Amino acid sequence: MLFASYYLWIAPHILLGIFLICLLGRGLHRQLPIFFSYVVFELLQFIVLFSIFLHSPFQADIYKWTLVVGEGAGSILELGVIYELANELLLARSSLGSILRPALRVVLALLLLSAAVGSGAFSGISVQRVNNIFEMINFSSNLLEAGMVLALFIFARALRVSWHSWVAGVALGFGVSASIDLVTAALRAQWGERAFSAVDLTQMAAFHVCVVIWLVSLFLTNRNPPFPDGKLKISDLELWDQELQRMVQR
Amino acid sequence: MTIALIFIFLGLLALALTVYLAKGHLSKGGDLEKLAIQLRPVDVGAFCNLISASEQQYLREHLPPREFRSIHRERMGAAVEYVRCAAHNASILMRLGDAARQHSDSSVRQAGEKLLENGLRLRLYAIQVIPRLYLSMAFPKARPTPDILADTYDNMSRQVATLSCLHFPTHGMSSAL
Repeated sequence: MLFASYYLWIAPHILLGIFLICLLGRGLHRQLPIFFSYVVFELLQFIVLFSIFLHSPFQADIYKWTLVVGEGAGSILELGVIYELANELLLARSSLGSILRPALRVVLALLLLSAAVGSGAFSGISVQRVNNIFEMINFSSNLLEAGMVLALFIFARALRVSWHSWVAGVALGFGVSASIDLVTAALRAQWGERAFSAVDLTQMAAFHVCVVIWLVSLFLTNRNPPFPDGKLKISDLELWDQELQRMVQR
Repeated sequence: MTIALIFIFLGLLALALTVYLAKGHLSKGGDLEKLAIQLRPVDVGAFCNLISASEQQYLREHLPPREFRSIHRERMGAAVEYVRCAAHNASILMRLGDAARQHSDSSVRQAGEKLLENGLRLRLYAIQVIPRLYLSMAFPKARPTPDILADTYDNMSRQVATLSCLHFPTHGMSSAL
């Protein structure tokens, strides 16, 4: 159990470090600057928390408040990343922006309302104030994140917008991690402090999965171009020619 | 307890849906040959006729009300099918446009961009138009849909022709369209 918790704490951040190096190496950090800031922030937060953890004697209060502040700042950055993803994947297209922007606002408003209801219901899960604050931030940010990522995927499916780039992997990673975190946050709210360690382990595992998805999507995008031939071949065009003649017959 | 259960259920549902919807985005784009054979024929002229207000008015004036309603329902049903086919074709042509956007030639890239933009517009219209056609089916007095969908489809077809010409200039495709 101890090994698992150390592994799930340290390994995803090592992988995140590798991911960051790959991002910088390929210059992709310019494509999603807020996401890049988020990755850097996550690594810094890990270094700070790990240093506090190793410090002897262990100061639980400092650790918890650092965690809460980090969670709050991380949540703001995560929402920024969602905006960036929406912009990159859907809103940047001129014909979609004007229609999808209000639709996404409505989704966000509904999610905020749900987060308020949930936070109100889960506000007293622990006798410690710091735990309650952490729980509310954690729950609300995960609900917003999971809902917004899902909304993006639904819009993309409805409009058949294809995302071949690594950015889709970033969205998927966030979606998976936030959905699992949402489930576990609700479980923690239900069972209180008894469930804390199991929930922590699950959330760390979810983050691990998320980082692996990011890494895999980065490598997959590099390996698989959207269309294997790169350029359209003459035979393809002849086929399109025939199909178009059939399609637009009058 | 109930609120916690609701959020647990919502979280699991969001997880399953996100993974399901993301599957298509992370797989390979597929080859154009396979996509091309998935295209469905769309007669834009026939579609325009089906949604034409004057045509509807003519039928209303010359047919008994009951017969008119029945024929109108059939016409709107056929129009829905046309819109579905056009939206399906648009999604395929958007992939062609997407592929063309990565071409080294800037004019091809530009044509691909236009094709993609029109494809998106057409799919957006299709999402808006299909419920209106069903509404018109139920209430024949409702104006089914503006002609903008047919115009966008026509535009898109022309852009595919332009795109193909840019790749292979002497292919005679424009005349076929």
